Amino acid sequence: MKNLLIVCTLLAACLAATGCAREVSRVQVTEFIDAADAAARKRFAPEICELRGKDFTLDLTFHDHEGDQPAHLQINRKLYCQQAGSFSRLRQYRLERKSLEIDLAPDRKSAKVTAQYVETKPFYEPYRTPSTPDDFMDFQIVESRDESVVGIEDGELRFLSTRAEAHQSLVGKNHIQLPYD
Amino acid sequence: MLLVVFGGAAVYKLMPGEERPARKFTDLELAAADAAHTGTCYSLGTVLIANGAGANSVATWSRPNEDDDDRWTLLLENVHHGPNGPQHVFQKFTFQRVGEQVRLVDVDATERISTDLAANIDGLLEGPHDMRSTPVDRCQASGATGYRFTARN
Repeated sequence: MKNLLIVCTLLAACLAATGCAREVSRVQVTEFIDAADAAARKRFAPEICELRGKDFTLDLTFHDHEGDQPAHLQINRKLYCQQAGSFSRLRQYRLERKSLEIDLAPDRKSAKVTAQYVETKPFYEPYRTPSTPDDFMDFQIVESRDESVVGIEDGELRFLSTRAEAHQSLVGKNHIQLPYD
Repeated sequence: MLLVVFGGAAVYKLMPGEERPARKFTDLELAAADAAHTGTCYSLGTVLIANGAGANSVATWSRPNEDDDDRWTLLLENVHHGPNGPQHVFQKFTFQRVGEQVRLVDVDATERISTDLAANIDGLLEGPHDMRSTPVDRCQASGATGYRFTARN
């Protein structure tokens, strides 16, 4: 009887601990977003990819610099990770987060994260392969508003989905000082 | 460069395990889309490798029917940076084993990419023809014939 009581107590403690680990807090989410931004700044695909859940989807509406009809793009994790791989070819890149809002779900199992970003990176002409990373005339500045759902998958925080609206503008290469890294 | 190489390898390792056809399927000779289903002299695997399938785009194999190992669909996806911004482009090829051949039986694709079977077979054969890839055994003898195939001397 005494042993059964001990086992039950241990089991209850384990369940409570697991339950706590399955809830997200504002601090955890903030740290997670900081880590995701740091991975993006490094342009290191494995880290960028690892932070996305297995059923991750990106839903992007992109307004180009000419103000044409926006492009809509919906891709899964696999294609997103492939794109993250090509991201590492950039030698000049700046990512600035302008705002961050976190809404925890009532059950604390996920959070909606709304963030505004400004990215600065080389603009390579469509359908043209640059001969070197420096083979471009303009920097593109992409201002975006991202709405992501962040939740726990396999015990770790992950992006479950991201919906983004991005606006692109171009600035002459000589007007911006962006170090190589 | 090392970052790209190791980054790519690590991304690959992070991918969950995926199903793909067995060698006995990809080693089969690809048939042309003509009425006689003339053999092309190249195995499906050779054709895909010669076209860089999976190297230049994301490749995903699936079985339309989980119990049927003789019918496979290959989805090739990429993001092209077009004039209006990034665009998702894809081609989906469905291959069916018939005897000792594999036939292309269906093609789906992004708008403006041909879904005509014959045109797609011709396009797929450009890779092995240009690279002079190794043909299947039956086409290695002089005088061997195949769809648009020129035997080596």
